[in-house]
Amino acid sequence: MAPDHDDLSRGPGHGATETDKFVFPKWTNRLREASAVLAVGGLLYAVVLVTGVFSPQNTAVGYAPEQPVPYSHALHAGKMGIDCRYCHNTVETTAKANIPPTATCLNCHATVRTQSELLEPVRRSAETGEPIKWVRVHDLPDYAYFNHAGHIQSGVACVSCHGRVDRMEVVEQVQPLTMGWCLECHRDPAPHIRPVEFVTDMEWRPEGDARELGARLMQEKGIAPSTDCTTCHR
Amino acid sequence: MPRWILYLLLVVTALTLIPIGLIYRSSRSAKDRPRVQVVYDMDQQSYYKPQSENPFFADGQSMRQHPAGTVARGRLQGDEAFWHGTAGADTVFVEAFPLELTRELVLRGRDRYAIHCAPCHGPAGNGDGLVHRRAQALAEGTWTPPTDLTTAAIAERPVGHVYNTIANGIRSMPAYGPQIEPLDRWAIAAWVRVLQTARNATIDDVPADVRATLE
Repeated sequence: MAPDHDDLSRGPGHGATETDKFVFPKWTNRLREASAVLAVGGLLYAVVLVTGVFSPQNTAVGYAPEQPVPYSHALHAGKMGIDCRYCHNTVETTAKANIPPTATCLNCHATVRTQSELLEPVRRSAETGEPIKWVRVHDLPDYAYFNHAGHIQSGVACVSCHGRVDRMEVVEQVQPLTMGWCLECHRDPAPHIRPVEFVTDMEWRPEGDARELGARLMQEKGIAPSTDCTTCHR
Repeated sequence: MPRWILYLLLVVTALTLIPIGLIYRSSRSAKDRPRVQVVYDMDQQSYYKPQSENPFFADGQSMRQHPAGTVARGRLQGDEAFWHGTAGADTVFVEAFPLELTRELVLRGRDRYAIHCAPCHGPAGNGDGLVHRRAQALAEGTWTPPTDLTTAAIAERPVGHVYNTIANGIRSMPAYGPQIEPLDRWAIAAWVRVLQTARNATIDDVPADVRATLE
């Protein structure tokens, strides 16, 4: 069977309009440039998409897992003004700001809201001695060493890394906690240093310039955060 | 150029904005699942961390309790007065602080009092902390109002009694020993004394040279 494109062999005589459709129109001359623009644009677009999807701002910030007990920091730390250290009482002296044991909940909840259904896991934990399985929100990679006590004693406030926890019904990660983010402060800590007695104060503002005060405190206390690799990767 | 190609280009360009919008929205909203790690690196290493699970032990916890009959370094409770607030083997509470009262200790006490005591006993010690107020607002029948620490009856108690109350609790107040170190318990006891003195002070207690500033 002869292929259809043999139509060309019919030769001339069918008029100019008929042959025109076998000649590329003039605008196609621009296709080469256009395809270059498309390729570059597409590549840029792909870069934007990938960075957007995998950026810590997207993947890490906003992590707010459901907890076994819907403990509200907004109520306890916000409305009732309980200091962070009432529960996280190891934060000033050890690397970890530990999650409190069930016993700490029972300091009040042995007599307050004793029938609440939401507190059932707390009562069960107290009865069986089996800890409540709280879900960890702020989790650094295991190759990064972080010490809460060192930061608290230098006057880095809770709010600097954890945000306004006193307004959170559900605790949410608000900072990317990436290496670049850590280094931003390690390279220029002055604006983030405050007097130690105000570290847990979520609303504290310096009277004057934060940087000036921070710089003075750094000098007084000899605060000089290291940016050596081994500071965190040890 | 044919019109339809132009329109197609416009439509495709418009469509490319949708994923960007979706990413923007996702980066601004709360997520209840942990991030998906494409490259796992060594983010989660197989060693046991504080407060993590550990199937090796019967209680499933990687943090261990002290074995029975052992004393951690620096925790030998030899000084009866310091560790228990009592004198000798009997349970007579000490009247005097078993450590030097420094300005530093008192200020530490103010700090610790604000963290552990003020929620119930109130910043001034008169028993009107915010936790108590909320418990009252909820009309909790089982709630015992916190004691006013500044009454004469409480102020007359030996300081060892205050220490013991912090360490072991009293009536419906739970023991704060697990949360507060012995030195801090004494610091708080010192601050409680400050609150009591301040509440019951008269103008005669104010040094003569600053009296004018109060009048």
